[in-house]
Amino acid sequence: MVNYPEIDKYSSLDSPMHRFDPRAKIVAFIILIFAVVLVPNLKLAFIALIGAILFLIASKLPLRFALQHIKWVFLFVVPFIIIMPFTVSGTEIFNFHGLTMTYEGLEYGILVAVRALSAVILVLPMIATTRFDVTIKALGELKMPNMLVQMFMFTYRYIFVFVVEFQRTWRAMAARGFQLKTNLYALKTIGRALGMLFVRSYERGDRVYQALRARGYTAKPKTLVEFKMRASDYVWTVVIIGFAVSLLIVSFA
Amino acid sequence: MNQEAITVKNLSYKYPDGTKALEDVNMEVYEGERIVLVGPNGAGKTTFMLHLNGTLRGSEGQIEIFGKNLEKMKREEIVKEVGMVFQDPDDQLFMPTIFDDIAFGPINLGLKEDEVRERVEKTILSLGLSGYEDKSPHHLSFGEKKKASLAAVMAMEPRILVLDEPTANLDPRSRAELIGIINELNEREGITMVIVTHDVNAIPELADRIYALNRTMIGTGTPRDIFFNGALLKQNKLDVPDVFKLFEVLRAFGLNCEKLPLSLDEAVSGLAKIIETEGGHIHLHIHEHTHDEIGEWRSKYEHH
Repeated sequence: MVNYPEIDKYSSLDSPMHRFDPRAKIVAFIILIFAVVLVPNLKLAFIALIGAILFLIASKLPLRFALQHIKWVFLFVVPFIIIMPFTVSGTEIFNFHGLTMTYEGLEYGILVAVRALSAVILVLPMIATTRFDVTIKALGELKMPNMLVQMFMFTYRYIFVFVVEFQRTWRAMAARGFQLKTNLYALKTIGRALGMLFVRSYERGDRVYQALRARGYTAKPKTLVEFKMRASDYVWTVVIIGFAVSLLIVSFA
Repeated sequence: MNQEAITVKNLSYKYPDGTKALEDVNMEVYEGERIVLVGPNGAGKTTFMLHLNGTLRGSEGQIEIFGKNLEKMKREEIVKEVGMVFQDPDDQLFMPTIFDDIAFGPINLGLKEDEVRERVEKTILSLGLSGYEDKSPHHLSFGEKKKASLAAVMAMEPRILVLDEPTANLDPRSRAELIGIINELNEREGITMVIVTHDVNAIPELADRIYALNRTMIGTGTPRDIFFNGALLKQNKLDVPDVFKLFEVLRAFGLNCEKLPLSLDEAVSGLAKIIETEGGHIHLHIHEHTHDEIGEWRSKYEHH
């Protein structure tokens, strides 16, 4: 069995976030994410972080699963915490052979990191609590251009096929003694394997198009969706957008 | 005789690089018939198949579907009549869930939402796919995916079904199940079938008539006609069912068998009949001619 990197692995759990109407959920959380990344100081950033963690808790997603996804994004954020303190000018904390660390820089680095962390945490209750295909349909319902919705849909469908295909190629290489090393030979081989994957994907694309046409594809596929807003959906929408708006008001008032 | 469902006249097709893939191909399929198309690798079977719903257009010749010229039919009209089940279910199932995939065709036919839902439900029930509606294709086994691809096409209620290698890569149980489904659809709904396959053991169960293709049609007839045509089989790297071969061997060993069976069912009834007429047992022996006959038999099926 293949271990797929699925964002919607826990979408079948039951929590207020899971029950939340996907359309409202997307809109509300996107507004909140924008508000969070716009907060100007550390105090508000930490309030945003606490808020984000509360939403994550409300979503009942397993901590391990959440950390797994947060981990990768955090790797991109760490450089800011390291570089910022040495590049922003301001009150000096210490000086080491001409390298000065400033208080302002440190504060700014942490601010960037906390904002990013909060935003990433918020993404989880937004999309990990709904089956991904439903999320795509919700985007369609929210009048996202049809072309983009289709791209999402086909990408989501075929990414798993490509994962399997790549694994197969990889195993075939390993079975004939290929070892991943940092030399030119290994890089060339990987390059060729990826090239093959592109060619195969292209050919598959051709066949999928034939299959699409064979069932009357007209470039405007529709899907049947049943979304319905209930009272609780409105409450959550108000809570989340309310939180976002308060952050913004405190920030810029 | 029934109405003609598919008529192919003098069809030729060249690949963009000029290689001739099909040359002067003719075929006639009557409504409700089950046709199996056989031919060696690279014979143009898939290319030919893609002509039957207008995916590819031949350079010469014409195709009629229920008497209508395919060239003059609208896309919606064609896909409504001719359903096509591709070999790789990952090509066929392109929507995120099985429900969406089965609904895809009916929606494109312009059916109303409740009609679409009705069709999907009906198809899911008739193919035993209940409970799979919300699953993604990557969570299904190959056999389940294969069944789902068939469902996705059946939901459009085509009168003609073209299947490319329906039994390839299936485990024995799924294979038997799929053969059963195909035959049931043919019997119950009268769907005309054109099946491309290399699975010779499945042919007796699936075919009313065989067409053998090797760039052009090289033979047609009942499975019996084709399987008895040793020269044709050998020239075109084709094979016969194992049961048939076994009974040829038994005949060399003296089994008094008039009609060689093509399937296990036929073998059972054939054997029963022989035993009955020969007083409760069958008789095998080795004579001098046995060795010669076995030698002949071997050379008949050696594709060197």
